[in-house]
Amino acid sequence: MGVLKRFTKAVDGTIPVPALLYEDEDLLASQEGVGIYDGTEKSPKHQNGTIYTTTHRLFYIDHSHARSRSFALDLSHVSRTDYYAGLFTSSPKIMLYLHANSTSRSSNISGAELETWECEVCSYKNPPGLSPAASKVCGLCGVPRTSVKNSSIHPTPIPTRLKQPSMSTHLSTSLPSSTANLHTHTSPSSSPSGDVATGQDGEIPCPACTFLNHPSLLTCEICGTTLPRPNGVSRHLAARSAPSSRPITPSADDDKDEDDVDDTSEASRLIRLSFRKGGDKAFYAVLRRSLLGKAWETKHLGGSRRSVTQHTNSGRGGINSLLRTVENTTASNQSNMENALQDLESLAVKAREMVRMAEELNERLTAVTASSSNNTMTGSAVIEPEEATFIRSSLSQLGLQMTNAPVTLDMIRDERRWHEELARELSGVLQGNGSSWKRPGDDGEQTSGGMMRKRGIIALDEVWGGWNRARGVALIPPSTFLLVLPHLPSYTSPPIHMRTFSSSGLSVLHTPPYTKAAFAARMVGLLTLAGPRTTVEVAQEEQLPIGLAQEMVIEVEDAGEICRDEGGSGVGIFAGRDGSGEVRWWVNIFKGYVWDGQEG
Amino acid sequence: MSLSPHTTPSGFLLPSIHAAPPFFTQQPNPATQAIVTEQWSRLILSYARHRQLFTVRVEDAEVTGGEWDEILRNDRINRRLRSSHLAYILEQMAAKNQLVYDPPKQSRSALLYWRTPEEWAEVLHEWASTTGQLNTILTFYEIIEPPVPSPLSGIPMQILRKAIHILTKTNRAQIIAVADGEGVRFLPGNAGK
Repeated sequence: MGVLKRFTKAVDGTIPVPALLYEDEDLLASQEGVGIYDGTEKSPKHQNGTIYTTTHRLFYIDHSHARSRSFALDLSHVSRTDYYAGLFTSSPKIMLYLHANSTSRSSNISGAELETWECEVCSYKNPPGLSPAASKVCGLCGVPRTSVKNSSIHPTPIPTRLKQPSMSTHLSTSLPSSTANLHTHTSPSSSPSGDVATGQDGEIPCPACTFLNHPSLLTCEICGTTLPRPNGVSRHLAARSAPSSRPITPSADDDKDEDDVDDTSEASRLIRLSFRKGGDKAFYAVLRRSLLGKAWETKHLGGSRRSVTQHTNSGRGGINSLLRTVENTTASNQSNMENALQDLESLAVKAREMVRMAEELNERLTAVTASSSNNTMTGSAVIEPEEATFIRSSLSQLGLQMTNAPVTLDMIRDERRWHEELARELSGVLQGNGSSWKRPGDDGEQTSGGMMRKRGIIALDEVWGGWNRARGVALIPPSTFLLVLPHLPSYTSPPIHMRTFSSSGLSVLHTPPYTKAAFAARMVGLLTLAGPRTTVEVAQEEQLPIGLAQEMVIEVEDAGEICRDEGGSGVGIFAGRDGSGEVRWWVNIFKGYVWDGQEG
Repeated sequence: MSLSPHTTPSGFLLPSIHAAPPFFTQQPNPATQAIVTEQWSRLILSYARHRQLFTVRVEDAEVTGGEWDEILRNDRINRRLRSSHLAYILEQMAAKNQLVYDPPKQSRSALLYWRTPEEWAEVLHEWASTTGQLNTILTFYEIIEPPVPSPLSGIPMQILRKAIHILTKTNRAQIIAVADGEGVRFLPGNAGK
């Protein structure tokens, strides 16, 4: 009746089983159509579900009420199993006989594996999600954990101070417990020094410095404290228990003793699994293997349980397991990287092939178009067949280098004529006199009326960008652009010239109103009319970008037409230092100034 | 432009250019700056002559309350001459011998030659004759700070020495060592001879 209640833990069956597992737990088999018998009677709430067996636990997920009627049973509670092949109406069953003394322990450590705990020895924060067995041992240093409830958690292993009265009782009862007990078994010593755990071959840990002394020593080799004497029983236990560790025993052992309810008979601690849809034989085999494996007991990386003496060095995660983990991770990193880079190499190979193919195509197209363009010079000189330009532009878009660039030069024998044609085209772009080709993707800004309709002066980079945008494909590199510019005045009206400012190296294209002299005259006129002005105001007046205006004004200053007044010379706290005030421009009042101050 | 001369409280007539803010800015254009420098030097010398000031220091541009405030600042237009600009102007004036750095080998303070040493020599001799002190031995102190204010009052020692030196060349003065200091005797004569 209360078997299920006592030995199982409710789980939320809506969560998929793989998510419920501990990190070191593996799902082995599952079977649906299973009902549960609590003792000898059917458990009413668990009659139709799927049963899963893992390395540590048995899950029952109810079919209809997954959230409320699912449970998990630790396989460590199972002492033995039995199999009953069904007769006529009775379905095959597996019987699980459970240990008598497992209840309190499960309740005690139910919380332990669900939180991060910090190891006292190495301060490693153990993650949650490990099985109860794994969560008792620190993942990094392998030292078992003192239980959370243990009031006597001390870092120093001095058993003399610990729970003396309970020691002897708990020890005596811990002796018969056979397998699933993970904790260290302590010697039932009645000496005042309390229990003493022993290492392999009966070594005695020193109570003060934890050094493992030879069994026949009386005082510790290192620190000289008197050693407690182990006896034969503990030696026997040592062979079966885990290797040397701190002599503090978790209080789980204590609790276990206190609740040592010796139930009536074994038959009452029984759970039966009824397989109504078959699959029992395979499931039983897997279950037995899992029970034999007892993965919840130890945390070997290998998995199966071997004799303790073989593993005294590696322990439950110690240095060796650490090293092994590190090796494994580096090896996997290495192989991952190699795989990734292999992909990259194969991609590079393909790219090379593609470049080669594109070059061949290119040459062929060039030959074709060169022959055809010699006849029609006007428009097609700069307009190539769509396919050719598409291929070439796509290549450049991909960033692949071609060895026989430039392309368009091959088409036109006479470079000068080509430049002139380009100049004509550019003039069209700049002044918008209806060019012959369509511009892809008109954005409406400069397409109507050309770029220089509204502005008399424009920076070179803007021109270049706009021109290439207008062309769409077969873009003009800057070098060609510069070669085209000298031809420009002959195709533009008013003539557009290039000018480079000496101070900053900025190059512009401009119409005659923006020559030095014209601009200077305009500026002087403005200042005379409107008084001193700052550069920003001049820029606004002339509809120029401020940087450009600054350049032009500096040029006029260099010509001596204007002089500057830096506001930083002002008196007062807001005056800047070293002329950081705003500069206002004046007409050059010094030119031709006649002294009219005091004579003499 | 609406610039006009302005008279300072001490009776000095400031030129109209002094009321123009660009006058207080160092101009990048060399030609323009040359004009600016020239006007400033004329202004400085003229003011020194007016107020009988002999020394000018670069710090005078920074601090207020000095003797040069009327010139180096124009509070009506909220402008002042920067010390860097003033240093540049002084440098230019030194190159033209309009002033000399005193003490030498530094460029912070200078003696203004709003009269050349030759002119000083003339003034000195003339003063000595008109006050009837020819042929008497005068200490430098007596010349620099005479009981009756003279055009030579407050003349710096350097300038006085130079002037006397010039006079000695034309035999119109003699330097005589006196008990506490130096003395000079002026002799009658004409410079122009």
